[in-house]
Amino acid sequence: MSQNNKIEEQVMAGIKSGKIKLRSRYIFLAEKLGIGSAFIFSIILAALFFNLLFFYLKASDNLMYLSFGSRGLFAFFESFPYLLVVILILAIFIAGLIIKKTGLSYKKPFGYMAVGLVLLAMIGGGALTFAKVAERIEARMNCNCPSEMFFRPLLSNDMEKRNSGLAGRINEIGEDFITVQTPRDIIKIDISKLEKELETDLSTGLFVIAVGEKKGDVFEAKNIKIVNEDEMPMIRRGVNECFGPPEDRRNIPLNILETEGRVGGCLMEKKGAGSCSKNCFVK
Amino acid sequence: MAINSNLTDEQLVVVVRESDKEMYSEIIRRYSSKIGHYLRKFIRNSDELEDVLQNVFIKAYQNLYDFNTNRKFSPWLYRIAHNEALNNLKKYKKEKFSLDETEWEIVDEKINLKDSLDNKFLKEDIEKGLAQMKDKYREVLILYFFEEKTYEEISEIMRVPVSTVGVLLMRGKEFLKQILKKEKYVTK
Repeated sequence: MSQNNKIEEQVMAGIKSGKIKLRSRYIFLAEKLGIGSAFIFSIILAALFFNLLFFYLKASDNLMYLSFGSRGLFAFFESFPYLLVVILILAIFIAGLIIKKTGLSYKKPFGYMAVGLVLLAMIGGGALTFAKVAERIEARMNCNCPSEMFFRPLLSNDMEKRNSGLAGRINEIGEDFITVQTPRDIIKIDISKLEKELETDLSTGLFVIAVGEKKGDVFEAKNIKIVNEDEMPMIRRGVNECFGPPEDRRNIPLNILETEGRVGGCLMEKKGAGSCSKNCFVK
Repeated sequence: MAINSNLTDEQLVVVVRESDKEMYSEIIRRYSSKIGHYLRKFIRNSDELEDVLQNVFIKAYQNLYDFNTNRKFSPWLYRIAHNEALNNLKKYKKEKFSLDETEWEIVDEKINLKDSLDNKFLKEDIEKGLAQMKDKYREVLILYFFEEKTYEEISEIMRVPVSTVGVLLMRGKEFLKQILKKEKYVTK
């Protein structure tokens, strides 16, 4: 009892002397606002990256490689948007951490919360799809704005050269090879070592997707599939990406510009991504 | 004094925050024994206990504006005590226990221990048993059996769902029984 009295005296003496003070209610308000904002921000970020991931999978060649079965796995993994997935998981993790650490919702088991967060990100991502946010970000990738620096590494993965797969439009047909216009480059494909016979004859202007192995400048195809124009990945992507960054355009053979009028037109006009994106691959 | 005793904890908090800081002594009076009792399960050294108890009331006072007066004050204060106790354990990396005679009877009654055994001997085993348990089981057992808190209150103190409190309690009891069973002091 005397111990309790002593504590009471000591604490009350501290309070009376002003050494122990009440923290302002505004500090708690600011803390709550900060935590709330961080939580909302992480959810918005998760929704945005879910949307970008969905857009990437829809617009890129990544998922199409799975149609080749095990042969397409390397190309699938090579083109997989790891960075988007990592940031998406990170955003959900941060939101979960905020809930866990601050006890925002300890009444429900954390498993439910985790499922709820994923659902929230998915619903938010779905809503952003309707608002065409990913397309807008894609369009801005070619402007000289700061957001470009942030989003380009995340979305330009499918425009990079691949070692195990490629997608593009047939530009030229030779005896044992074809040349294909990919978003980044014109690539020569060796079709002499195909493991499966082609069901349809190849012709210029067709869209193809191939898996195999890059050997030097030549891509040695193991399997090729003809793809409908509507299903062609990257057709929604900007023409600038389709044919590489501006400095690379000088290297595009002139005959491409001459023979492919509309594509050439796009290139020559140097329009932004959205304006002539469809022309990029349209016959 | 009469006015003070008529006020609920939550009303007292409002008074302390808005007008009369000295009324905080009433809160200390109401809770110093209870919180001290709770902290004693974690801290045996009386000097350390005093320091931690004092810290609990200082932190509670400093953070009074963080308390939502629509909720119960007691779990909020126990939460602070709980955190302080854990911080103290982490700081000194100690596993301490002490049960007084009354607590010992509660344990005896609630976990079905043999009556015929030497209490003094058994008490040491219970202490050892609790000390061997993981913190999460030990804390919930202490809060439920010794502090006689409800599931809802334990949920608020430990920041876990009520269903988890039930599970922890059930498992905690089982573990304690198993530990004591090894020493052959518990009925089947």
